[in-house]
Amino acid sequence: MAKKELITKVWIEEGCIVCDACETAAPDVFEVTEDSCIIRPDALNVEFAKPRSVEIVDAAEECPVDVIKFESETVEVADDAAAEPAAASADAPVAEAKKTAPAEPKKATPAKAPAASSKSKAPSAGEPDPSIQALLEAATSRGGHAGIMKNADDMPASTQDWKAADPKSLPPDARQAKVVEAAQKAKKQSELHRRDFVSNSALAIGWTAFGVGTGISVGPAFGRFMMPNVLEEPDPRIRVGKMDKYLEMVPGGVNEDYKPQGIWMIREEDRIAALNIICTHLGCIPNWLPNDRKFKCPCHGSGYYPDGINFEGPTPRPLERFRIAIKDGIVVVDKSKKYQYELGQWDQPGSFILV
Amino acid sequence: MDSILASSTSTLESVKHFINVACEPHWFMIISVAAFFIFLIGYRFWTKPAVAATIAALVTLFFLASCLDDNFNKIVTKADNVPIVIMMVSVAFLLWLAFRQAAINDERMEKGEPLLEAGADDKVLVWPDLVYSELIALVLCTALLIVWAIVLRAPLEQPANPNVAPNPAKAPWYFLGLQEMLVYFDPWLAGVVLPGLIVVGLIAIPYMDKNPRGNGYYTFKERKFAITSFLFGFIILWVVLIIFGTFLRGPNWNFFGPYEFWDHNRPAALLNTEFHDLFWVNLLGRPLPGHYLMRELPGIILLGGYFLLGPLIMKATVFRKLSRDIGFMRYSMLCVLMLFMLLMPIKMVLRWTLNLHYIVGITEWFLNV
Repeated sequence: MAKKELITKVWIEEGCIVCDACETAAPDVFEVTEDSCIIRPDALNVEFAKPRSVEIVDAAEECPVDVIKFESETVEVADDAAAEPAAASADAPVAEAKKTAPAEPKKATPAKAPAASSKSKAPSAGEPDPSIQALLEAATSRGGHAGIMKNADDMPASTQDWKAADPKSLPPDARQAKVVEAAQKAKKQSELHRRDFVSNSALAIGWTAFGVGTGISVGPAFGRFMMPNVLEEPDPRIRVGKMDKYLEMVPGGVNEDYKPQGIWMIREEDRIAALNIICTHLGCIPNWLPNDRKFKCPCHGSGYYPDGINFEGPTPRPLERFRIAIKDGIVVVDKSKKYQYELGQWDQPGSFILV
Repeated sequence: MDSILASSTSTLESVKHFINVACEPHWFMIISVAAFFIFLIGYRFWTKPAVAATIAALVTLFFLASCLDDNFNKIVTKADNVPIVIMMVSVAFLLWLAFRQAAINDERMEKGEPLLEAGADDKVLVWPDLVYSELIALVLCTALLIVWAIVLRAPLEQPANPNVAPNPAKAPWYFLGLQEMLVYFDPWLAGVVLPGLIVVGLIAIPYMDKNPRGNGYYTFKERKFAITSFLFGFIILWVVLIIFGTFLRGPNWNFFGPYEFWDHNRPAALLNTEFHDLFWVNLLGRPLPGHYLMRELPGIILLGGYFLLGPLIMKATVFRKLSRDIGFMRYSMLCVLMLFMLLMPIKMVLRWTLNLHYIVGITEWFLNV
C-alpha cells in the first residue's frame, strides 16, 4: 500500500504575474488570460481535479510568485493503483515524499518537492511520452537538476514558442483557439490604434497651436510684468569739473579725482579722454602706479599704459573709454556709452575732447 | 665682535638673497619639478622613518629660523595663510605615509613575501569602534576650531568698496591655483575650459585606466606612470600653485621672495611679447601680415602640431607599449588630457622667461591661447 496526495480544491490568490508557467504545467486546470490567470470551470469539480493532482502540485511549485494554493487529502491506494494515474518511474519519489504528510485534509502551501519529481509529467496513457523521457534523462544526467536543453530534439517547446507559432500547426485544442482569438484581437487593436492616432495628432496640433498662440500673445506681457517698473540707477552722466584743470595736466598724466565714480581722466598730446577703471581681464579695479607710470591690476597683474593700452599681464585688450563732452563749460562723462580700442572706436567723435 | 656679527649678518643676508632668487617663479618651478622626480626615484630611501624624520626636522628648523625674519614671519603667520602652512605639512605627511607603505610593499613583492594588506581584517564595528572615533574626532575638531578662533583673529577688513580692490586681491586659498592659472590664460580658457577639463579628466581616469594593479594595496613600482602623472597634476600644478599664490604673490600681483619686503612701489618691467611678433618680426625680419589669420598662422601651426603630432610622436617613442595596451580611444583621450595638463607649465615658463603673452592671439575673436 502507498499513500497518495489528492487535490480536493485549488485556487489562485492575488498577485498573479500572468507568466504562463501554470498553464504549461497543467493546461487542463489553469487558463492564463490577458491580465490574470483563472481556474478552468471544469477544474472546480473535485473529481476532475483529483486525477490531475501531480500537475497541480507541479504548477504550484513552478509558480514564481507562489499564488497557487490547494487543499489536499492523503489517501492510501494500492501500489498498482498508485502507479496508474502517473508515470510509475517518476511518481515513486513523490509518494515517498508525501508519506509523512498527515492523513487529514490540510491547507498546504506549496511545499518544495525534490527537483527531479517536480519535473515529471504524467503521460495520458500507456506509452511514455518521448519528450518526457528526454527530460527525465536530462534530469538524471545532470545530477537531479533538470533543465530544458536548448536545440535538443524532442524537447517540449516553451509556451512562448507556441504563441509565436502559426495557429494551424498547433494541436486542435483550447490553446489553438486562444491563439486565434489573440491574433484577431491584436488585428482589431491595430485598427483602433490607427484611428486613435489620427484623432490624437489632430488634438496635439490643436493644443500646440493654442500653446504657441497663447505664448506669443501673453509672453511679452509676462516679460514686461517681470521687469521692474522703476529701475533705480544712478545717472550715467557725471560732471567732472571745469576744463581748466585738465588743460593744466601734462600729456600722459592721469587724474584720479573721479575714481570713486569709476573714471580716470587722462591727458594725451592733443586731447583729454575718460577711461573706465574696470580691468578688461576679469573686472577688478587696477591701481595707478605713478612711479611705473602704469595702471596695474592687483588680481592677476594686468598692466596698462596711461592711455589705457594693455602691455603686460594676461589682459586681452585695452581699457575702455567713455563718451565725453563739454556742457555749459563743465566736462560731462557719459558712462552709458563706451568706446573700445580694438574696434577702432577711439577715433570716433565723442570719445575725446580736443584741446 | 662687531666684525663677526657683521660678517654673520652679511652671510645671513646672502643666504636670504639666495633663497629669494631660488623662489623666483622659474627657479621655484624647476626646483620643485626636480625635487618631485628625485623624491619619486628615491622613494625607498627618503621614506625610511629615520630619513623622513631628519628631513622633517631640518625643514622645521629652517622654517622656525626663517620666522625670525620679519617679512617671512608676517606672511606665514597671516591669519589667511596659516591653513596653507598646515596644508603643506599635511600633504607632505600623507605623501610620506603612502610612499612608505608603497616602498614596504614593493620590497616585499620582490622578496615574494605577503603584502602589508594581506590578511588584514577590514571589518570594523559601527558601535563602538566607528561611533567612538567619530565622537573623539568631533570633540578634537571643535576644540581645535575654538582655540584657532581665539588665537588667530578672523581676517576681516573694511566694508567692501566696489571701486577699490585690495592689493594684492587674493582668492580663497583653495582657488589660488585657479587664480594663478588666470595669469597665464584668458578667462574663458583658465576659468572655464581648463577647470572643466580637470573635472572631466578626473572623472575619465577610471575609464582610461583599467589596470587592476594597485587596487587595495599600496604600490609605486607597479603603477609608476599613473601615480607620477596624477601627482604631477596635483602637487606641481595645484599645491605648488597655491603656494605661489599664497606666499610669493605680493602687491600688484608681482612675485616676491619669502624674505622680501612687500613694496607696493617696487618697479617691475614685464613688457609682453607676442608669438606673432617673435616669428614675423624677430625671426623673419618682415612686417606683420595684414590679415589676422595669416598673422597667427605660425602660432596655429605650432599649437595644432602640439595637439595633433604630440600623440603620434609619443606613440612612436615613450608610449609605444601603453598605446598598444589601452587601445586607440583611451590613448587619444589620455593624450589630449596630458597635453592640456602640460600646456599649463609650458605657458607658465614661457611667460616667466620670454614674457610671452599669447601663442595664438586672435583678439578679434577673443580666441587667445
